[in-house]
Amino acid sequence: MNYAFLIDNRRCIGCHACSVACKAEHEVPLGVARTWVKYVEKGEFPETRRSFTVTRCNHCEDAPCIEICPTTALFKRRDGIVDFDPRRCIGCKACMQGCPYDALYIDPQTETAAKCNFCAHRVEVGLEPPCVTVCPTQAIVAGDLDDKGSRIVQMTSRIPLQVRKPEKGTKPKVFYIDADTASLVPSAAPPASDYMWAQAPQAATLPAMPLTEDAGAPRRTYSVKEQHRNSWGWKVSAYLWTKSLAAGVFLVPALLSLHDPQRYLLRPGVSFLALFFLAVTGVLLVWDLRQPQRFLWTLTRPQWRSWLVRGAYVITAYGLLLTLHVALGLLARTPPRPLLIATMLAAAGTALYTAFLFGQSKGRDLWQSPLLAPHLIVQAVTAGAALVAPSWLRWLLPINGLLIAAEVWGRHATEDARRAAQLIELDIRFSTGVLAIGHLLPLALLWLTPSFEATAGSLALTGLLLWEHLYVQAPQRIPNA
Amino acid sequence: MSVERLTPGSGLQPFPPQEKWDDWREYDPKQWPRRVEKRYMLVPTICFNCEAACGMLAWIDKDTMRIRKFDGNPLHPASRGHNCAKGPATINQIHDPERILHPLRRAGPRGEGKWQRVSWEQVLDEIGGRIRKAFLEGRKNEVMYHVGRPGHERSMDRVLRAWGIDGHNSHTNVCSASARLGYALWSGYDRPSPDHARARFILLLSAHLESGHYFNPHAQRIIEGKLAGAKLAVMDPRLSNTASMADHWLPTYPGSEAAVLLAMACVILDEGLADLGFVQKWTNWREYMADNQPGEEPKFGGFMASLRERYREFTPAYAEAESGVAREKIVTVARLIGAARGAFASHVWRGSASGNLGGWQVARAVQLLTVLTGSFATPGGTSPSAWNKYKPTFWEEPPPHKEWNELLFPREWPLSHYEMSFLLPHFLKEGRGKLDVYFTRVYNPLWTNPDGMSWMEMLRDESRLGLHAALTPTWNETAIFADYVLPMGMAGERHDIQSQETHSGKWLSFRQPVLRVARERMGEQFQYGYEANPGEVWEEDEFWIELSWRIDPDGSLGIRKWFESPYHPGEKLGVREYYRWIFENAVPGLPAAAAAQGLSAYDYMSRSGAFLIEAEGRKLDDDTEFPTPSKKLEIWSRTMRDWGWPEQALPGYVKSHVHRGMLDKHKGEMVLVPTFRLPTLVHTRSGNAKYLNEISHRNPLWIHSSDAERLGIESGELVRVTTEIGYSVNHAWVTESIAPGVVACSHHMGRWRLHEGQGGRWSTAKVVIEKRGESGVFVRQIEGVGPFDSPDPDSRRIWWSDGGVHQNLTFPVHPDPVSGMHCWHQRVVVSRAEAADRYADVFVDTARSMEVYREWLAKARPGPGPGGLRRPLWLERPLRPAEEMFRK
Repeated sequence: MNYAFLIDNRRCIGCHACSVACKAEHEVPLGVARTWVKYVEKGEFPETRRSFTVTRCNHCEDAPCIEICPTTALFKRRDGIVDFDPRRCIGCKACMQGCPYDALYIDPQTETAAKCNFCAHRVEVGLEPPCVTVCPTQAIVAGDLDDKGSRIVQMTSRIPLQVRKPEKGTKPKVFYIDADTASLVPSAAPPASDYMWAQAPQAATLPAMPLTEDAGAPRRTYSVKEQHRNSWGWKVSAYLWTKSLAAGVFLVPALLSLHDPQRYLLRPGVSFLALFFLAVTGVLLVWDLRQPQRFLWTLTRPQWRSWLVRGAYVITAYGLLLTLHVALGLLARTPPRPLLIATMLAAAGTALYTAFLFGQSKGRDLWQSPLLAPHLIVQAVTAGAALVAPSWLRWLLPINGLLIAAEVWGRHATEDARRAAQLIELDIRFSTGVLAIGHLLPLALLWLTPSFEATAGSLALTGLLLWEHLYVQAPQRIPNA
Repeated sequence: MSVERLTPGSGLQPFPPQEKWDDWREYDPKQWPRRVEKRYMLVPTICFNCEAACGMLAWIDKDTMRIRKFDGNPLHPASRGHNCAKGPATINQIHDPERILHPLRRAGPRGEGKWQRVSWEQVLDEIGGRIRKAFLEGRKNEVMYHVGRPGHERSMDRVLRAWGIDGHNSHTNVCSASARLGYALWSGYDRPSPDHARARFILLLSAHLESGHYFNPHAQRIIEGKLAGAKLAVMDPRLSNTASMADHWLPTYPGSEAAVLLAMACVILDEGLADLGFVQKWTNWREYMADNQPGEEPKFGGFMASLRERYREFTPAYAEAESGVAREKIVTVARLIGAARGAFASHVWRGSASGNLGGWQVARAVQLLTVLTGSFATPGGTSPSAWNKYKPTFWEEPPPHKEWNELLFPREWPLSHYEMSFLLPHFLKEGRGKLDVYFTRVYNPLWTNPDGMSWMEMLRDESRLGLHAALTPTWNETAIFADYVLPMGMAGERHDIQSQETHSGKWLSFRQPVLRVARERMGEQFQYGYEANPGEVWEEDEFWIELSWRIDPDGSLGIRKWFESPYHPGEKLGVREYYRWIFENAVPGLPAAAAAQGLSAYDYMSRSGAFLIEAEGRKLDDDTEFPTPSKKLEIWSRTMRDWGWPEQALPGYVKSHVHRGMLDKHKGEMVLVPTFRLPTLVHTRSGNAKYLNEISHRNPLWIHSSDAERLGIESGELVRVTTEIGYSVNHAWVTESIAPGVVACSHHMGRWRLHEGQGGRWSTAKVVIEKRGESGVFVRQIEGVGPFDSPDPDSRRIWWSDGGVHQNLTFPVHPDPVSGMHCWHQRVVVSRAEAADRYADVFVDTARSMEVYREWLAKARPGPGPGGLRRPLWLERPLRPAEEMFRK
């Protein structure tokens, strides 16, 4: 069995019956939606046309939300439906980064992730989802792709079909007949600051096409809140930063001590400092969960493909190793070399794993950058150096700066990645905060007056934090639906 | 625990099979993926939002006896299991935490918002006693019932006839009366019933893919027709969703539609596409010839030549100049209509007919195309409403009353198709009469009608309006000023039968109080509906029966007998018996169908919710006669000639009051289209449906980019829209989806409340209303829509703050001199808002609105007509009096 939806745009009249039937079936709270109808207008009077696009979870064959979910709260049923279990969800919102279609939201009632689940509770007893039955023009077809006799197979085999964002490789199973490209591609008509009969639930992020330049350009005239936007807020930015520090303050002296064990003994204070930053990291991570009391489930109910789980184990291992260092330090014992190397690997893993987690975030084109992994290591070392060896910044800041420049101005694999980079570039905090205060000023201080090393270090850390924030935020402002 | 699958394999059914409706089991979506079984009883009813009467199934949780949701009823012949957004949103209306649950009586001055809870007994005694007194004193015309959309068939006519009063008032003259008159002049039937599903060409002058009579059933069939190859053309100055689905969008300048249609008729005639045999057989062309060339033997060829000559000015070039639509497009569509070979389906309902002076000629011009192409009542053509609509009869019919209420049918408008309802405040102000007991029934004239501030004055004036009882499920602007607010049930809380001419065929559907039905099936008994509904919410059927017994307790007024049981003479009629009698005796085929299932006719309807009476609509046969004076389809109307409108005896083109030539170019006047509706809302009935208001809650002013540029206005900026009597302040919506020179603002939005708890906060803004000078009234929002505390956690999650602008307040009354319909379109000046203006400000001068009323009154051509008649005898009239009353 392999259930799928077919949306027939020759029939859809944009009446919103499906959206309301869905809300009523699941008592979906105000402010969030499992399915909705996007309106996009094109053309100049009198050749104007409005198109309607029913939008919802694609029940992907290769669903990124399942892969990234740390607790199997999202899962694929044997009948091909991507379902979810709110009782397993820790509210980490990773699925909202993973989904390229903005299908998921956090239910304000349960504080857990939710989305269209194909009304599995009805499918299981042999009933169609209410969005299908309600539709006045029968524009939505639900059926089994494996059943050759089903209406959906008969229709999908005869007529050319479209899906949203096929390039993501997710193999979506919501098919469209006669869809308008400007409606399927979210950025072609980005969210606006007002809609024709509704307020825009959020401020627009991408500049709308001014009417004076091309009055006929596609424009969005109705849409719901972009649920994925800012789902990872300042706590996630701060976590990246404290995690860099936690890794870096150990890595830098550890590298030195590898090179010259006599001169740079790893003092217990260093391990303690790393442990402290790691603890803050942990607090931020747990704090960001909508179900913080369930944080241990990442370890106890792991979904092993999720880099959130793998990361949690890396962080835990690193924390245990650091604790060992602290304990040995308190006993005035020198850590054995294998322990030192293992801890360094854990530190590097702590810095690095987020690259893979972000890589699983299929909804964030900017994060798919191959530079991210090396950059995270450089950031960790830079952050560590800023605290314990500021003079290193003379070399580290230019390297980090080059990596940032490559992330922002380099070639981007997709248009949405380029747009996200552009959002960073246009942000005043990038030029003043990240570049001037975070890089140029400390470099100038370090090269001109070595006595300001501590100041240079804190400026660099400020720049790193700001960069994390811009880097985390920008791709979340790119529309996904 | 597991629920058995309906069918083996992976196939999905739309609905549980009917035999399982009494005890349907499925999993609870709220606890999913835990498989927790829920037991439901599925009880059929019909929607109470728009007039389409779509079927619904109420899902009643058998453990809590609470309605869980509404979905479609697969047995309903028109809606076929499907609904628009308003169907499933009914659940919001039922569970609205701010709905009115008990009868209320005013406890302070009118409009002050102070209420005390009273019992239904008190209500019946007080109102019944007052009506009895009026009847005993011979003041029958001081009792009036004023209805929004009725949602029932003939039942209220029966009550009012039994009371013997001319007291039926309706909303129709702010809605569809002009189109109705146009259709009635042709055939005597005042509504079209297009067979979209089998059409080869569909022409819509209304937005039937998103609103109107009958949105959901029509949308199903229009799309069905399109998928089967029909082409769709839509005339609308605004790109409605319907226009956007069209193969041909004709953005006609408002009011020019008849010119375009007549030009199309000329193309069809000139290119030999007309079905002349049909015209010759079925129209009253002989009458036309006798009038036009008296004394000569009428020849059909001569008629056609004369007709063509009459329409000679309607060239495609002229139509283009009037409408702004390219002549090529007009010719193309005309040819396609001609090529439809008798399968041309069309519809005008409100749209241009309701917007413009002479809008009834638009309907006549549309119908001219139907007749010319021989598409009258053909498969794929357009039938008269009555051929596809069922009307019940009763065991005993009260005789027609012997009254004529001049407040409803004044002599100035002898052809007015419905009551001059929206002029009631103006008539009372002029001293034409007064009202002792006034019922508004699911009707909000203060908000909906033009010149609402005159309504407010009237509703406050105790010297002219003695007692006002608002029968309404929810708070509305009119109820704020009532003396009694009486909660009446919504879909699923009341009995009614409804039938509509949605397509070719005839059906009947049954609205039921579903909790009462469910609990009765489980063995409980109820005397009155309010015992089973939420709070003390009642239904009108029982209310009128009880009230009638209070008016005439001993039967001496001759009223009570009409409210006695047909099964138990002398006993009070029960609502169940009322429908039982109809189902058993007045619905062809129903008793037999019921018997085949081993059911009584009543139980059949209660369990199925609908019955298909005729699968195929009536067609023309050689014996067909029409209820017109000539018994033919009247291409030429002697009535129009005789009643003072000889120049309009043929379908023609009346230049609208917003015709380009009427606009003051120096003032920069534009035309405002204020009537368009959305698929998600229905007038003020849907204000408490949270899911609907989340989707649509503002009505900015649509303005074309070129006009916006000229005026220096950008989207989102505040603009002032100045009418003849005042102004409103709104946001601009700069768009390519409206014709240049035209602005548009949707109906539905701009709801308000004066007092907390009295006006659904899902959709209303809080306002203050202030006097300004002698006759000025100023309305300002002091608080937009926003979160509020209630047992429903969603009320704290309201994320929108905009509730729209109440534009209707700023419209003066424009009674069409013929149909009597309010002509909605407005001449307006759009300008940038002034410094002190704030969003949603409204200012109105009611003295000025009286002046505009008098200007339009002067356009009317008063009766009596030939023979001293008040009104042509053949022309239908709601609550038709005895014939002698036409002559008084």
